[in-house]
Amino acid sequence: MKTRKGYTLRSLGKEFILVADGLEAVDFSRMISMNESAAFLWKEVEDKDFEAETLVNLLMEEYGIDHEVAEHDVKSLLETWNTANIIE
Amino acid sequence: MKKVYQVAGHKFAVVMPDGDRAWAEMEKYEPFLTSDTGNYIFTAELINEMPDTSSKQLVVVGNQGKDMARSELYDWEGKWLLEIAPLLDAPVRVMMIADKGFTTAQFRVLGSWSFSVNSVLMLLYAFSTAHKDTLLIHASVTMNNGRGYLFLGKSGTGKSTHSQLWIDNIEGCELLNDDNPALRVLDDGEVRVYGSPWSGKTHCYRNIDVPVGAIVDLHQAKKNVIRRLSIAEAYASIFVSFSGYRFMKDMANGLHATNEKIVMTVPCFSLDCLPNAEAAWVCYQAVTH
Repeated sequence: MKTRKGYTLRSLGKEFILVADGLEAVDFSRMISMNESAAFLWKEVEDKDFEAETLVNLLMEEYGIDHEVAEHDVKSLLETWNTANIIE
Repeated sequence: MKKVYQVAGHKFAVVMPDGDRAWAEMEKYEPFLTSDTGNYIFTAELINEMPDTSSKQLVVVGNQGKDMARSELYDWEGKWLLEIAPLLDAPVRVMMIADKGFTTAQFRVLGSWSFSVNSVLMLLYAFSTAHKDTLLIHASVTMNNGRGYLFLGKSGTGKSTHSQLWIDNIEGCELLNDDNPALRVLDDGEVRVYGSPWSGKTHCYRNIDVPVGAIVDLHQAKKNVIRRLSIAEAYASIFVSFSGYRFMKDMANGLHATNEKIVMTVPCFSLDCLPNAEAAWVCYQAVTH
């Protein structure tokens, strides 16, 4: 899978938001708020092809968590990203 | 003939022929007249003939609804060409050619002087201040006790009505601007709201400014309920209340920086409201305490 084009990740104090900035974005009024780890993953895989396992490995390396926890977090994160239609 | 105006501390110049009828549209800009010391954020010049722009390339069409203005942005010989119509399916009423930084512009009016002059100057102002800690924001602003309270909301939500409810029911309230005031973050972090020549249908063109007390996003509802917005919610409420070409990186970065500074400093609320006196009281008590 891939991240959709036309979005910019921006920091907002300690939070993060993904804003539709590009001409490719369909709905300019949408934005998605992200916590630190989701924002970290987005930055890592932006504009690249990636699999769920890519994200699991990134989480394990960055946060030192075990595979099972990382897999669980990635599953729910990908559901959120799919619902928000920001990956394809 | 050139006249120089200042809104929220930013000077801009308007150049039109002496005695041209368009100057009649500039009456509401009079309170903002200032001395000509140069250093404009933009210069807008009225022209009577457009060059041949048939080689233009469409970049983006901007429209937010059937009853809202439509703008078509083209790239033409290394400059921007902007064609604006008052409604989604209306003919183009004003054309503008500007450099890529929106600092020097020429415009040609094809219809409605008032719509044309205001559209051109508002857009140039918004675009050329985008990276100057300034936001031209769609809001009605009422002052109370030396502070400005901004009411945001979609067209038709009742921003002006809510301002009027404060003025009618709460002692010491005055309207600052009813449609497009400017917010500016000063070097020390203070956020102030400034009157402007753009006040919608209300004749309220006041060249004054006050610190911002709060920003309130209005929603029509069956009862009056107010709550404080999170940082991200406040950012989103403000984000949909100003204009800018977000695909232009410099502009988007500037607008983001200003919006971020505002939500980090100013308390923001969401108000579900009826058009009644209780709404004004519920709001007033929450935002001033």
